[in-house]
Amino acid sequence: MSAPVLEVQGLHVWFELERGGELHAVQGVDFSLQPGERFGLVGESGCGKTTTILALMGLLPPSASVAGRVLLDGEDLLARGEETVSPHRWTDIAMVFQGAMNAFNPVKRIGDQIAEPMKLHGVSDGRAARQHVGELLERVGIPATRTSSFPHEFSGGMRQRAAIAMALACEPKVLLADEPTTALDVMVQAQILQLLVELADDFDLTLVLVTHDLPIVAQVCPRAAVMYAGEIVEIGMTDTLYHDPRHPYARLLFAATPDLSGDSEVVSIPGTPPRLDREIAGCPFAPRCDRTFAPCGTVKPRLLTTGPGHAAACHLNDPALKAAS
Amino acid sequence: MSTVASAAGAAGAPGDPGDIPQARRRRGGVVWSILRSRPQAAIGGGVILLTILVAVFAPFIAPYGPREKVGPPFAPPSSEFPLGLDDGGIDMLSLIIYGSRVSLIVGFAAAAVAMLIGGTIGILAGYFGGKSDVALMRVTDYFLVIPDVPLMIVIAAIWGRSLTNIIIIIGVIYWTGTARIIRAQVKSVRERVYVRRAQALGASDSRIIFRHVLPQVAPLLVANTVLTVAVAIFAETALAFLGLGDPSLISWGRLIENAFVSNAISVDAWWAIAPPGIAVAVVILACTLLGTAIEDALNPRLRVGHLSVRRFRLRPMPSKEAS
Amino acid sequence: MRGADYFLKRTLFALVTVFVAITLNFIIFRAAPGDAVTGLRCQFCTVEFKDQLRAELGLDKSKWEQYWIYLQDLAQGDMGRSFVTREPVVDELIDPLLNTLPMIALGTAFAIVFGIISGVIAAWRRGTFLDWGNLSFSLLFYSLPTQWLGLMLLIFFAGTLPVSGISDPFLEFTDPSWWETFVDRLEHMILPAATIGIVLYGEYALIVRSSLMEALSEDYVLTARAKGLRNWAIVWKHAFRASLLPVATLIALSLGYLVAGAILVEAVFSYPGIGLVTYDAVFERDYPVLQGAFLILTLSVVVANYVADLLYFKLDPRIAE
Repeated sequence: MSAPVLEVQGLHVWFELERGGELHAVQGVDFSLQPGERFGLVGESGCGKTTTILALMGLLPPSASVAGRVLLDGEDLLARGEETVSPHRWTDIAMVFQGAMNAFNPVKRIGDQIAEPMKLHGVSDGRAARQHVGELLERVGIPATRTSSFPHEFSGGMRQRAAIAMALACEPKVLLADEPTTALDVMVQAQILQLLVELADDFDLTLVLVTHDLPIVAQVCPRAAVMYAGEIVEIGMTDTLYHDPRHPYARLLFAATPDLSGDSEVVSIPGTPPRLDREIAGCPFAPRCDRTFAPCGTVKPRLLTTGPGHAAACHLNDPALKAAS
Repeated sequence: MSTVASAAGAAGAPGDPGDIPQARRRRGGVVWSILRSRPQAAIGGGVILLTILVAVFAPFIAPYGPREKVGPPFAPPSSEFPLGLDDGGIDMLSLIIYGSRVSLIVGFAAAAVAMLIGGTIGILAGYFGGKSDVALMRVTDYFLVIPDVPLMIVIAAIWGRSLTNIIIIIGVIYWTGTARIIRAQVKSVRERVYVRRAQALGASDSRIIFRHVLPQVAPLLVANTVLTVAVAIFAETALAFLGLGDPSLISWGRLIENAFVSNAISVDAWWAIAPPGIAVAVVILACTLLGTAIEDALNPRLRVGHLSVRRFRLRPMPSKEAS
Repeated sequence: MRGADYFLKRTLFALVTVFVAITLNFIIFRAAPGDAVTGLRCQFCTVEFKDQLRAELGLDKSKWEQYWIYLQDLAQGDMGRSFVTREPVVDELIDPLLNTLPMIALGTAFAIVFGIISGVIAAWRRGTFLDWGNLSFSLLFYSLPTQWLGLMLLIFFAGTLPVSGISDPFLEFTDPSWWETFVDRLEHMILPAATIGIVLYGEYALIVRSSLMEALSEDYVLTARAKGLRNWAIVWKHAFRASLLPVATLIALSLGYLVAGAILVEAVFSYPGIGLVTYDAVFERDYPVLQGAFLILTLSVVVANYVADLLYFKLDPRIAE
């Protein structure tokens, strides 16, 4: 095991609410990624996964405040906020956004938009940049002749590929992909995922894949974390998450997914996630959990190691507590 | 005009998106909750209400009569006459107070006409669709290009200058904008589940329209009507200024026209000109604020702006966490 | 070619609108209670004279015949004769139209330039005092009645700037240079142009601000920020460009106001443009001139809208889809 390329320690994000008060969107997230790793971040909408990866690039609105450390090759990106994180944008850590269809400016050509970061960060310029753009497009499966097309002339799948090409323009170390296959049909989804895996290998990328769609995680990421109400509730090898989950939420989530791929809607677990604008007493999942017992309502569970490289935040894994009740 | 107006409505919530009132079953609920949550709506509504009260209670508020000569022509403002006198020696303050009546009547009545015609046509076109809908929209497209004020001028010049005529003319010119907006809204409402269900159950069209479509469309109609009031008041002043107002009535537009025609400028009698214009501007501003606030709340298009000079802040870790 | 399709559709639309305007013009003037001659007040208008005038104007024929004659005359550029001066209407309208155009252009240019500047600043500094200040001013100016603003400016600038007419009547006696004539004309144009410009500025600033704010909330702006672009680069290279589209169309929509504004300010400042001609024609019930002026004004708006349509196509590559 070499030094981790990306380490997130105690990441918290709060949002100021217009009506006063704060939303505690991310509540102490920790994880550590090896170079070349493909890591999944899973959860329902609103659980904080998108906010987490936006925080990694410092792409938060002014109403946000952040605590914690994000170490990229040992350097803390959040040390002085915007100042320390902006030099690394795109050159070291890049993102494919949710709904990448809209990541492109409709009135500018695709080629220009992909070349833009190259020129900006001095990677290449002029003719060399055009050449480079053409190569990138070919690599993601788009003919280089389409460099001067406008975004609306591409299909959804093609735009997604182009967005991926754009993310790789400055050859970053880390690629964050937020729901890269939402709104694409099944066939295209599979192709895009396959592409991501290949690119991660070819470009030596560390990939963080954020999604609510479990089969995707299973296909692409050997390791994953499940988020709920702003926290990681279980983290470990995807295989183990599927077959031996140690947190009731993870269990319900993975068990509930039908085997047919393409039905990416998470089957509903009764109830709704808790409000994050106030302190939660005890376990945030308790109201919806089917295995609660005495401590769940009052004591907040911490991540407990349940096996090698595997941890879950549930009192059921704590033999001492179980014995006491 | 409502396209610009909704631009102004974005003022209500800088930064994070504003609170969208939950849909209520009675339209009064939605509008009222918007009024409560957005200050610009409350200000606009308040000013309009105040003006209405002034108009209604004019005889009790105004110090003198609207045709009562109380001093020499163009007497400047004094403690006795805070806004001075006009060319006929009549108290300007009283004129402004009485003038509110006709200005508001024209504004509201014309907007009502536009709302009735536009709303009805919009609902029918949106609900029934089909060829007549397409044809109707084509026709309104052509009419929308033709400039409004010259058309009104021409019609008023030929067909007469009575109050009713003015109201009808203004109303007829402006119904097209309302119709388009309502039609778009009706089309989207029509596709909703409960409407389809009602149709499947055999409910008659008129029942569906009145019980389902109308309540959904009503708030937007209200917003649009308020904005039309603003336009109508402006149109009245324009027509009055060009000598096409009802000569026997006093309105703010007529006051401006009168000042112009009686050469208030040559004697520097700004008090004969400024107040009516300010009154008009205030009411138009109030209507714009109120109308755009409602429109904006119903159509929250503005999401978080991704750009800001201010940046996200750093905080120390919460004490519960061990580093 | 996809562009051709759009071009064709808009041209057709413009032509049909012109035709509708012409027909409307005819209907309004000929379908009035009584006819144009009945309401005529003049000293020598005996019954015989009026009958003769009627025959001369073709008002004794059926409406359809009149319509057909009207179309034919228009095709030849004949809009009848003024009731007041007995000159051809066309002659009465051309010079004034040429006077109005530069004045309006000046006012609009002012409004566009300052409207864009204000709107951009307000959208960029969204939520700050600059934004609120700009919004308040824009709303205020937008709400002012044009003729009233003109009068206020007139009073205020009465000593320093000329307040009526298009030129100093005595200037030509001093054998002025080209520059002096130009300055003189400009001085006379400034106040009416400024009046229109100020109200229009209010409208444009609001539009630009809203459009830019909308563009700044689009996903591609976040992407641009992620790519490492600086704020100003994002505004200039991405958002502004994209926000020009709705701005262009909305400016086109305000053309109707321009016409109204022209009429009002020319009345206030006695500026001899087509607006003043309209005003006088209304006052004197000079129907042929009024009819001609209305047609010219309507056609100008149709043409301007058409040009805006074409411009829009150039700005938005999606429009032809």
